[in-house]
Amino acid sequence: MDPYSAEGELINIHNHFLQGQFQEVVDFDTSSFSADNALPVRVLQLRARIALGQAQEVLGEVKGAKEPELEAIGALAELSLGKTDSAVSTIEKLVVSASDNVTVEILGGTVLQAAGKTDDALALLSQHSGSLDAVALIIQIYLYQNRTDLALKEVSAARRWAQDSLLVNLAESWVGLRVGGEKYQQAFYVYEELAQAPSTSSIYSLVSQAVCELHLGRTEESQAALEEALKKDPSYAEAIANLLVLKAVTGQDTSELTATLAKAAPKHDFLTTLEEKSDLFDKAAAKYKAKVSA
Amino acid sequence: MQSSPGMLTKFESKSSRAKGIAFHPKRPWILVSLHSSTIQLWDYRMGTLIDRFEEHDGPVRGIDFHKTQPLFVSGGDDYKIKVWSYQTRRCLFTLNGHLDYIRTVFFHDELPWILSASDDQTIRIWNWQNRSLICTMTGHNHYAMCAQFHPKEDLVVSASLDQSVRVWDISGLRKKHSAPTSMSFDEQMGRGNQNQTDMFGNTDAVVKFVLEGHDRGVNWVAFHPTMPLIVSAGDDRLVKLWRMSETKAWEVDTCRGHFQNAEGCLFHPHQDLILSAGEDKTIRVWDLNKRTAVQSFKRESDRFWVIAAHPEINLFAAGHDNGVMVFKLERERPASAIHQNQLFYVTKEKTVKAYDFQKNVESPTLLSLKKLGSPWVTPRTLSYNPAERSVLVASPVDGGSYELLSLPKDGSGAIEPTESKRGSGTSAIFVARNRFAVLNSNTQVIDIKDLSNNITRSFKPPAGTTDIYFGGTGNLLIITPTAVHLYDIQQKKTTAELAVTGVKYVIWSNDGLYAAFLSKHNVTIVTKTLEQVSSLHETIRIKSATWDDAGVLLYSTLNHVKYTLLNGDNGIVRTLDQTVYLVRVKGRNVYCLDRSAKPRILQIDPTEYRFKLALVKRNYEEMLHIIQNSSLVGQSIISYLQKKGYPEVALQFVQDPTTRFDLAIECGNIDVAVEMAKELERPKFWSRLGAEALAHGNHQIVEMSYQKLKQFDKLSFLYLTTGDHSKLARMGKIAEHRGDFTSRFQNALYLGEVEDRIQMFKEIDLYPLAYMTAKSHGLEEECEAILEATGLTEDQITLPTLGKPLTPAQPVVPTFKSNWPTKAGSQSFFEKALLGQVEGLSLEDNTATNLLDDAMDVDESSKRNGLIEDDEEDATGWDMGDDDVPEVESDFVNVDSSEAGGAGSSEADLWARNSPLAADHIAGGSFETAMLLLNRQVGAVNFAPLKPRFLEVFQASRSFLPASTGLPPLVNYIRRTLDETDPRQVLPLIPRDLEHLASNDLQKGYDSMKANKLEDGIGYFKGILHAILINAVANEDEVSEAKKLITSASEYVVAMSIELARRQLGGPDALAKDPEKLRRSLELGAYFTIPKIEVPHRQLALLNAMQFAVKNKNYNSALSFANRIIANGGASKIVENAKKTKAQCERNPNDSIDIEFDQFAEFEICAASHTPIYSGTSFEECSFDGSKYHSKFRGTVCRVCEVCEIGKHGSGLKLFA
Repeated sequence: MDPYSAEGELINIHNHFLQGQFQEVVDFDTSSFSADNALPVRVLQLRARIALGQAQEVLGEVKGAKEPELEAIGALAELSLGKTDSAVSTIEKLVVSASDNVTVEILGGTVLQAAGKTDDALALLSQHSGSLDAVALIIQIYLYQNRTDLALKEVSAARRWAQDSLLVNLAESWVGLRVGGEKYQQAFYVYEELAQAPSTSSIYSLVSQAVCELHLGRTEESQAALEEALKKDPSYAEAIANLLVLKAVTGQDTSELTATLAKAAPKHDFLTTLEEKSDLFDKAAAKYKAKVSA
Repeated sequence: MQSSPGMLTKFESKSSRAKGIAFHPKRPWILVSLHSSTIQLWDYRMGTLIDRFEEHDGPVRGIDFHKTQPLFVSGGDDYKIKVWSYQTRRCLFTLNGHLDYIRTVFFHDELPWILSASDDQTIRIWNWQNRSLICTMTGHNHYAMCAQFHPKEDLVVSASLDQSVRVWDISGLRKKHSAPTSMSFDEQMGRGNQNQTDMFGNTDAVVKFVLEGHDRGVNWVAFHPTMPLIVSAGDDRLVKLWRMSETKAWEVDTCRGHFQNAEGCLFHPHQDLILSAGEDKTIRVWDLNKRTAVQSFKRESDRFWVIAAHPEINLFAAGHDNGVMVFKLERERPASAIHQNQLFYVTKEKTVKAYDFQKNVESPTLLSLKKLGSPWVTPRTLSYNPAERSVLVASPVDGGSYELLSLPKDGSGAIEPTESKRGSGTSAIFVARNRFAVLNSNTQVIDIKDLSNNITRSFKPPAGTTDIYFGGTGNLLIITPTAVHLYDIQQKKTTAELAVTGVKYVIWSNDGLYAAFLSKHNVTIVTKTLEQVSSLHETIRIKSATWDDAGVLLYSTLNHVKYTLLNGDNGIVRTLDQTVYLVRVKGRNVYCLDRSAKPRILQIDPTEYRFKLALVKRNYEEMLHIIQNSSLVGQSIISYLQKKGYPEVALQFVQDPTTRFDLAIECGNIDVAVEMAKELERPKFWSRLGAEALAHGNHQIVEMSYQKLKQFDKLSFLYLTTGDHSKLARMGKIAEHRGDFTSRFQNALYLGEVEDRIQMFKEIDLYPLAYMTAKSHGLEEECEAILEATGLTEDQITLPTLGKPLTPAQPVVPTFKSNWPTKAGSQSFFEKALLGQVEGLSLEDNTATNLLDDAMDVDESSKRNGLIEDDEEDATGWDMGDDDVPEVESDFVNVDSSEAGGAGSSEADLWARNSPLAADHIAGGSFETAMLLLNRQVGAVNFAPLKPRFLEVFQASRSFLPASTGLPPLVNYIRRTLDETDPRQVLPLIPRDLEHLASNDLQKGYDSMKANKLEDGIGYFKGILHAILINAVANEDEVSEAKKLITSASEYVVAMSIELARRQLGGPDALAKDPEKLRRSLELGAYFTIPKIEVPHRQLALLNAMQFAVKNKNYNSALSFANRIIANGGASKIVENAKKTKAQCERNPNDSIDIEFDQFAEFEICAASHTPIYSGTSFEECSFDGSKYHSKFRGTVCRVCEVCEIGKHGSGLKLFA
């Protein structure tokens, strides 16, 4: 049973988590929840704190804990602190001992995927029994793999048993941005709804909305959304990266923002790939030269 | 009841005395008002009485159709004028007012007026719209017998028994009644007053002329349609012709001839003739110009009372004591003859003309026939002799005469015949190169004559011969009223005879194998030996016919062009709005002569008859061709095909499932039938299908039908006969399930399953039967069990004698597995070809097509895989060996459908595959291939300057979507194909598109030029070049726009670099020291003006050069710059400046320093050395930006774009796939 399902009492806090409202998750009044849900709530809050950059504290908090959930949280915290190897070994241990634990599956999947062990991650996640989180992760991994076809299948399967779940909507939007065409607009609607309602708005949904607008060719709207996002958190890497892309798309100068991004997230995919491509260019260009040098 | 020869009676009716006649202007209708008070409406073409109108009391004398409205008017002896609608067949209203018999009523052509003449001595004008009397014309002092409007002018002419004819001017009336509808009060008052004066003074209609000359009462009077002439007929038996001018009218002449009262007269609408009818039972035709009698027709016993002319066509009607007759004065069929591509015909003016079918031109008049017979009678037939270029013309004049004439070479010379040979005879035709036959029907002799008009032989034709026609070499076709004889001229005897009545025309087919006999209502097609091939009947009169080259006869009736095949199949080709005489068919054109003897071309659609002909001839290729190339559909063709026994062909045309099913069953095409039955899904169709399939032995379809129909018993039996035991067993199960014991028993019986049968009997308490079954099969245990269950013992039962147990035969062959060879479906060649066509094959050689198809497949599949790159075309489809195909296919399949994990290719990779554009490869991150492309396209070698553009494009290609927490964002690829979702079609967005460049970068470049910031400017323009080099556009138009932008940017770069080079030579001081530098500086200044930059910028360059030249006393150069500035015009300040300089320079037009700048020569500037390249000298250029260089710079990097190698030619920049 998925504790986060629509019927469960954790739906709101879970949705906050999914919407990227991590502070709200941490501050959520948990007193009313039943004892059974204490652990899932704690896991959620710890994940939110990791997302908020408090990985070190969380790691300290869960140290020595025996619950596989908390051990998995520890691994996630390690991952976000850059200790990938130890995170992976922790997870690999947990996979053996508690592979049927949904939190282990989800967090393990995350860690393994982040560590580049895609096949292991998929293998672990595929053991899930009706966890939307796991499905979402699977979809995301498929998308990393550029297997839009498989991702689509997962989404439509999930649609059938979890119709209007926020997570399904989000996952569908992820896939939609890959498929394109009308799907761009549909994804945009999902994110816009989240970003424009104060109760659900977050930097995460704003950036997502901006990305949709970028794909729809609405560069001005996209820029507005990104700037709003940056107002909330000037160092949010995805916002900077997408703004960079936007500037490139509209033919504006990108050097200043590139520096900003380098400061905020030096290992961002945008920068690493750019670096890579720059080298590639030099290498490739070296193969050509004029017959006669001037 | 016979009419005089020459007059052609078209219609006769029998009734009481006809007093009034009116032709419908458009339809073949005639209204006849009778003395018996009835008004009849006849269709004179069909000869049918359409309607009768009987509301008048007593004789009806006046009748007229309205020209445009569905109305007619009548006036009777009941003093009433009635207006009728022939649509509603009702009298709409009655106009009362006349106080005595009404003699005539006429509608006005335009105004809503009716003119009536009455025995009350008045002539009245009525408005039939507001149903009021608007004018009463008084003046006649006896019965007013007739009054008619002038067709054009505001005149009325009237005839009266007071012996006078009066002409009335009614322009006042028209003015009054065509005044604006809204009137002021004053005007209304005035109008009222006017009306007052009407009562007494009558200014609306005034007598213009009173024509006196008749000695007795005048019965009829009529205006000439165009000339100022009037004709009148009176009881003095005279027909008088009157002429009028503006001011007076006078009698012209009198036509004498009627020996009883002349009752009616009129002008021929088209010819200079007068027609009159009288109580002497004659209709007489008079020459208008000579006033001599031309013709007269006499009726035996009927006095004529009225005569009328059709307003449009050459038709007249006369009413007499016993009805009406509709007649023509003359034949309208123009005599004609065809030889090869020429048509010779006789015009209405009695001249011979030729018409060329191919060139579609009429010749000038070749020959005049004016002298042949009466001027009013045109020749009946024309026979052409190509060998002698002579014509034989037969005319009915004087009991028939003919004339043999030679045609001049062209129509330019004298048209009067030079020598002619003539003779008498009803028909005359050429029968050989130097012989012609003449029939004299009165003496019943046929003479064969030579060209000198001497009789060579003579013979008596069969009795009653009316006409002769050419009958093939050495033969004549002799027409009698009841038969056609084929007559051998040599043997002087009839070789064949065919009983066909009333043949009027004979038309030979082009190949001379068939002839068509036209009678009034019949077409008979015969072979050249006079064997009848087919015959058809038309209710409408047949006018003419001509043969198609393919052997189809096209014939015209009064209102249709129709066709008939040799087998008698016929149909309508098109309708006719006027009667024409067909002379030839060629393709879609039908050539014909109309009634005014003008050649015309009618467009027809020959598809239908060609198709039918092809069908008859079983020419399937032709049919296929027709089907493919024309839209031949419609119920008629389908039913035709079905009727003619070609259901399999009809099947190809039908969409409607029911019809398709019927046709499929009919032609035994089970496959189609099944398809349709599935679509229709109704028991009726399934049972028909089942029956048909059974007849074919196609038991699988039978099975399907039975299943659909739930005919379990039949199904079981079918399984039994086909030996399908497993299905039989299943039938048993089904029967059990259904609780149908009979069926279950039957199935068990078929299967030989004794236990099941026993079990069933037990279930339904039929223990005796169960016992017997068990017993007969020797199942003792079962017997025991039954006995036990029923509580009986064996001896208590008396059994009848049991036969041997039934064992169903075991099938020898597993028939059910497949159909036996079924009855061959009637799949014709045609159908096969058509099916082939459906599959995309043509009728071409099959192997070749298959190969082609395979090759296409390869092409297709590799395309789908995105393997084809633009510049690798030679490696696609055609060259690929067969071995490659499966590999490609499986690869393709793999990508799309494998369930197993494994990464797919990212969209970025797809871009490179999808596009031949360098920009798309760059966006996809595939820099190597992009460079390769650029190198091949424009010879790019130095990529370093492009790096910012490469990275810019790449950066703009991907967005980052935050997804699950803890994982990196999802990378998505930004497209320019927003609506596209097919991964094989998506393409990336390329930043700074053409529009952006034109509106931003280009502007910046211009601004720097204006601001004299040339270093920046060069940067901008080079940037533009780089940005275009790596770009994508939406269409071909944008490609040419991009090319323009490239050229422009290139020119600017050259211009700016020249000026920068000049500036580098140093300031005025440095120049002053070094005369060589000064000279070079002057040269560069001059060259700066050469590149084709925008005019305002060129003005700046020119100004710069001019001032510099003036400063250095190079007045001649300065003058040329000044002149160019002035010529360019524009900003007044610069122009002013130039004018001043010009004035100054003109005083001393010499250069103090000699520079290499020939202002009159054509040259370009080398972008590297900044020296002129005169036209004619060899040069190299950059294949991307088009900048020019001296040959020595070949192989170096272009100074303008800094990317491409000079002189390296590529395939050309690709911006649009």
